[in-house]
Amino acid sequence: MKKMNINTVKVIALCVIAFCMAVAGFLFAEHRNFKETVVVSEGCTEVKKLSDYSTAIKPGSINDCNVYIYDSGVEGGTFLIIGGSHPEEPTGPMVAQLIAENLKVKQGRVFIITHANTSASTITRIGEAYPRFFNVETKWGTKSWRMGQRHAAELDSWPDPEVYIHYPSGQNLANVDIRNLNRNWPGKEDGLISERTAFAIMEMIRNEGIDYTLDYHEAELEYSVENTLVAHDKGFDVASMVSMTLTAETFDVPIGMEFSPAALRGLSHRDIGDHSDAASFLVEVAEPMLDRIRGITDEKLLMEGKDIFVIKAGEHGLLYAPMDENGWPIEKRVARHVATTAKLIEMYTMMHPDQAVVVEGLPAYEDLLVDIGCYYHNPYAADPSRVYYD
Amino acid sequence: MQFTMYHHAFVVIAVIVVAFIGAKKFKLNTELTLLTASVAALLAHLVTPMGVDARSALPFTEIIRHFVEGTFTYFDVCMTFLSATFFMTLYKEAGGIDYLVRVIVGKFYKKRTVLLLMLMIIMMIPGAVTGSGATTVLTVGGLVGAVLATMGVKEDRRVALVFMLAAMSAACPPINLWAMMAAAGANMPYTGFGTPLLLLTGIGALFSTFYLTRGCKCDSEIEDVVKTLPEAPKGWNLLKALVPFIVLLVAILGARVLPAYWPIIGMPMIFGFSALAVVLVSPKKVNLMEIGLTTVSNLKELVGIMVMVGILNQILTLTGARGLISLGVVILPIWLLFAALWIILPVSEGVLQYAVAPLFGVPLIMLFNMLGYNPVIALSCWAVMWPVGDCLPPTAVVGKASVMQMNYKGDYYKGFLKNVLVPALVVLALCTIVMIFNKPIGSFLGV
Repeated sequence: MKKMNINTVKVIALCVIAFCMAVAGFLFAEHRNFKETVVVSEGCTEVKKLSDYSTAIKPGSINDCNVYIYDSGVEGGTFLIIGGSHPEEPTGPMVAQLIAENLKVKQGRVFIITHANTSASTITRIGEAYPRFFNVETKWGTKSWRMGQRHAAELDSWPDPEVYIHYPSGQNLANVDIRNLNRNWPGKEDGLISERTAFAIMEMIRNEGIDYTLDYHEAELEYSVENTLVAHDKGFDVASMVSMTLTAETFDVPIGMEFSPAALRGLSHRDIGDHSDAASFLVEVAEPMLDRIRGITDEKLLMEGKDIFVIKAGEHGLLYAPMDENGWPIEKRVARHVATTAKLIEMYTMMHPDQAVVVEGLPAYEDLLVDIGCYYHNPYAADPSRVYYD
Repeated sequence: MQFTMYHHAFVVIAVIVVAFIGAKKFKLNTELTLLTASVAALLAHLVTPMGVDARSALPFTEIIRHFVEGTFTYFDVCMTFLSATFFMTLYKEAGGIDYLVRVIVGKFYKKRTVLLLMLMIIMMIPGAVTGSGATTVLTVGGLVGAVLATMGVKEDRRVALVFMLAAMSAACPPINLWAMMAAAGANMPYTGFGTPLLLLTGIGALFSTFYLTRGCKCDSEIEDVVKTLPEAPKGWNLLKALVPFIVLLVAILGARVLPAYWPIIGMPMIFGFSALAVVLVSPKKVNLMEIGLTTVSNLKELVGIMVMVGILNQILTLTGARGLISLGVVILPIWLLFAALWIILPVSEGVLQYAVAPLFGVPLIMLFNMLGYNPVIALSCWAVMWPVGDCLPPTAVVGKASVMQMNYKGDYYKGFLKNVLVPALVVLALCTIVMIFNKPIGSFLGV
């Protein structure tokens, strides 16, 4: 009798486990296969795939992302926007998409990657209890994005080594960082997925003659590299001007400017610049959901950026960014990145007239603070030839 | 009174504590205790007001997703446990351990200090290259324990020493997973940790070895001692006995020496190749299926604990309880932090295992950075303190592995833990002192 009871318990437990696995499996599959729509602006002249630039990425594979090209036809410079290096920092893909949907280029060329590490956007970070999606209300309905993590999914890159030894510098990093795109620059042609992705993007930068790049990021408020523009040696002058003018004219919270440290390898602001002719920049904005001291983890925190635990840490002087009850809402984070992009283009053009890029269509900082949804276009009403999927 | 997120997270933590006590009262095992605590915490999260503003909806399907996602937190660690144990069980069943013990005792029994130092180094290597104390215990713990037994080291002390050396091996460079995870979270390169970690773990291992073997004398005749040891199957020789370990070392070190050319196959596959080497060199036929089943059966508790800790960590994060705990630590006055970390870190390791590195390590690094301390020295100290807690409940993963591997029959607390206490306190005191003097020590070591 006792044995039968134990067997009954085992069968029930097995059924519960099977049910949970089926439900979770469905949700994981839904997350992995969800496609974000991008309605490119009329200024978009061509959409290539990353695999067009290098055999390191197989055509049609998970990280064979779209490369949106805006060519004015007028001679000038070439600028690359990199979104989605770390898909747990949502403004990266959001800002890159917003620009892709509104940009008009009058001189030079602009390249946009909205999901540089697509694999990392198909799963959330285990142990961090992130929501799977985040949403913005628009006039035509809800626009959704996949929430991701810092590292490429284990489904696409497993196992990790015991220690990640960066190529080619030989610097030791945590083993999971071999799946972190922003620890893998300049990449490795025959490496793992993040190394190959970085290599393919580097090939694109070299072959397209890209003059400067900007990589979008967000950071926890406890982290010292916060609300700042990090610049490679080739871009100090431009970054200083961007920082000064935005702080003086536009932002309520100043944007700093930092030199890319030569000792820390694998980062876009260091190794893109070191291994190509391009000047590389990386921009950070505060995101409270990345702080370990945060409270309840949900979409509300992700989008509104309000958290009383983080405020408390600020009261104890533990933060590198101001934090109050207004938090760091997504509108403000997106607005800062868009404004930084516009100012970077303006300043780079001013200081490098032979590499001029002139653009229109980017929303103003103040307008974005009010509403970001209105800058994303309805994929169901748009000309299908302008609708792409990331 | 307005119910804030502080109250909410505090209620969740209180419910977890009550669930732990209740589950223990009903004599549930550790795995079910952790699961009960996770379910109770989630229920508390759902029914307790979450603060002033309404929060995002948490559908039932998403709750299930969080539970299942949490089970994968330590997937790699569990795979390493299973493959390492399979390899060593296979080696043991083939008679390799019996052979090596006879060789070591026969050659070094009379040279006590040399023998102890050799055993210490043997114990330090697996953890140093994998970052896992449990791997140390599961690979060489049995072998070292058997040699210690021939030296007359009492059972309680033997298990305590195997645990302490396993803890020190996990913290030993080049791979210290706690330091790596915390450094990665704080965007620090994993460089400069080698010297401080080696000094701290070296002193800890030396003290543990000679303290726990104090008083034992190797005064019997070698022949008499060897006679008491189990016979190894005929056909073993030193080369054959070492081949599986050579395969293991070559596979691990190859990735370090030739990272650009060496394929990344992961620890489970490396142990798989080592197991294959055992099959190839073993003079005795072994039943692979039976050993596989024994391995899974022996490890189901450890793996179960790791799976359940992953769920608990996910739920703590979801509910804000993790944030409150983390915040509670970093806002402590700095003098109190220095005075309390030697307790907080091992105890938290006992609850959450490796998850403590991002939980406490990242905010602490940022705090120490902000205060102008040397984060490399400080993190090295914490990264040695954490594994000392691997013998503490509820998880006690390495402690339980040591007890299991040594077939220890004594009382876990009054026998094993009592003997761990002095060397553990010495290590914690050493780390605390180095942490306090982090700046001059950092300057002296050039980090």
